[in-house]
Amino acid sequence: MTAAISAEKLTKRYGDHTVVRDLSFTVDPGTIFGFLGPNGSGKSTTIKMLCGLVRPNSGSGAVAGFDIEREDDGVRRSIGYVSQSFALYEELTVRQNLEFYGRAYGLDALRRSQRKQAVIDLTGLARYADTLARNLSGGWKQRLALASALLHEPRVLFLDEPTAGIDPVARRELWDLLFKLASDGATLFVTTHYMDEAERCSRLGYIFDGDLIALGTLDELRALPGIAPPGTVRFRVSTHNVMAAFARARSIDDVRDVTIFGRDLHIVAAASVDEARLRTELGPAAGGIDEIARIEPSLEDVFVALTREHGAA
Amino acid sequence: MRRSFDVRGFRAVLYKEVIHVVHDRITLILALMLPLIQLLLFGWAINTRVEHISAAYFDEDHGVAAVQLLDAMRASDEFDLVYRAASRDDLRTRIVSGRVRVAIDIPPNFTADVRAGRQAQLQVLIDGSDSSIAQEALAAATGIGQAVSLELHGGGVPLIDVRPRMLFNPSLRSANFLVPGLIGVIMQLITIFLTALSIVGERERGTLDQLLVTPIGTTGLMLGKIAPYAVIGFVDFLAVLGAMRFIFNVPIAGSVWLLLLLAMGFLIASLGLGLLISSVARTQAQAMLMAFGVMLPSILLSGFFFERDAMPLVMQWIGYAIPLTYFLEILRGIVLRGETMSSLWPSVTAMLALGTALLVVASVRFAKSTT
Repeated sequence: MTAAISAEKLTKRYGDHTVVRDLSFTVDPGTIFGFLGPNGSGKSTTIKMLCGLVRPNSGSGAVAGFDIEREDDGVRRSIGYVSQSFALYEELTVRQNLEFYGRAYGLDALRRSQRKQAVIDLTGLARYADTLARNLSGGWKQRLALASALLHEPRVLFLDEPTAGIDPVARRELWDLLFKLASDGATLFVTTHYMDEAERCSRLGYIFDGDLIALGTLDELRALPGIAPPGTVRFRVSTHNVMAAFARARSIDDVRDVTIFGRDLHIVAAASVDEARLRTELGPAAGGIDEIARIEPSLEDVFVALTREHGAA
Repeated sequence: MRRSFDVRGFRAVLYKEVIHVVHDRITLILALMLPLIQLLLFGWAINTRVEHISAAYFDEDHGVAAVQLLDAMRASDEFDLVYRAASRDDLRTRIVSGRVRVAIDIPPNFTADVRAGRQAQLQVLIDGSDSSIAQEALAAATGIGQAVSLELHGGGVPLIDVRPRMLFNPSLRSANFLVPGLIGVIMQLITIFLTALSIVGERERGTLDQLLVTPIGTTGLMLGKIAPYAVIGFVDFLAVLGAMRFIFNVPIAGSVWLLLLLAMGFLIASLGLGLLISSVARTQAQAMLMAFGVMLPSILLSGFFFERDAMPLVMQWIGYAIPLTYFLEILRGIVLRGETMSSLWPSVTAMLALGTALLVVASVRFAKSTT
């Protein structure tokens, strides 16, 4: 099976600043690849290189079997791109936006009307068909952007933070759509800051300061040595006074790492530490412990650990 | 590599742009009305009647006819007789130094000639630097000469022969001279602004990237973007040309068809400039400032206001890089002098070459600025 997307030592520099450094990875057809990383770490630049909008300084890449530099016309015909800014024409109606992109992709009149109807049905835009794009809410604008990107039935779809700034319901519905597309055989490359979204991806890549520092399935990432060092266990501690418990936990010798998640602490400790000991040690300082449980590292744990590790290095 | 031109891409962009233009009523109305309004404003401002032109006189005659003539001038709204010269040299110095606009020279035998029924010559020197003042002075002096002549002698051939002489600007630029130039200036203004803002607007909204991931080639994209503005620019041209002909009564001496054809050539050059700006500017505010940056030299160095021959050589060279310079030659040549291709071809060739060069450079820059 050839990869739907592949990158081999992709590098992009602006002046002295290297935005993306030696990026290598592959994405299998029909999967959703989650591309994560802090703001400014090189996510959008990577997408733009793969879409042919930005030329890499070195390295190579292929999308849907087309070389991103030499066969960028082929790339363009095979991909859909949904940018952060929902690139729509606000003065055009939903239908006119779709008509325009249908023409831009060179679909003939018959195919255009079939595809318009298909994407309108898929995204549920029918009742807004004659609404000006400007008057749509954020979630619907995003659906229109997605619909526009799907008109030419792209095999690979790039989505740059597609759910930024839209409400949780719209977010969930959009993801249901993405799953449907993937199950129909499309390959999706998605960037996001939402961990719940990232956890739904087939595979993940984490880029930090231009370097791809982690790549794999969720389980593979959880098992990274930096995340789950051998001989350690991970606990979630719910308590009333998180800050006091946090300070106390950090002073325990066998505790390797403590992170606050809302009203919980996530504690990485030596395997010798158990629930009873934590309850005894933290209880008095925190004014009581509600719950202690052994947990698997969450994706957020993974990224906090990776970012710390590389930020320190 | 990106395919350079795709007809379907061009038509797709055109489809969208036409909807844009039609939906954006305010911009459309402004784009169509502003040129006409500007022409009327400028045109009428140029045509404003001039009064109280300062004049000096030298009366070597001292006779009744001379006194009557000078009284008539004092009584008129047009002239203020501010200085009585002691000699002919003194009179000349006054006007050369710019302290008066008009100098009236009454020769010694003026009254005697009129009495004897002979034609009496009246020398009127006019400072032609300001065409509107000069024209008014000319008309008023001639009128007053005829009126006084009539009073003194009744009907028949006027006995006072007013001999006007234009100083400093013998060709005397008139509204006929300025209005055709204005058309060129306004055309350039509107096309540069519309194109630059429309394309930079896409960049600002982030839709440019979206267009560039489609198979639309950059050429198709650019042509589709500028075609509607070329049409608007041409409609504007027809409107202001009509206004020139029928409101300002400037007759078109040469071929209207040739003028329309060459106007299209000028539009291409103008759109090229707009495109060039849009390949550099990142925001609409930048595009506006750059458009202004192009407009001022165009107005100042193209020969619209100031005689190009009188400029320093460097300024003349800069003028050669401005399409408007050539279009003004063409406009004035056809409208005022009835020129044809046989004499216009150097300007036409230069304008088209410059326009093509601008368009090519802009396309290359635009394509580069997008990857």
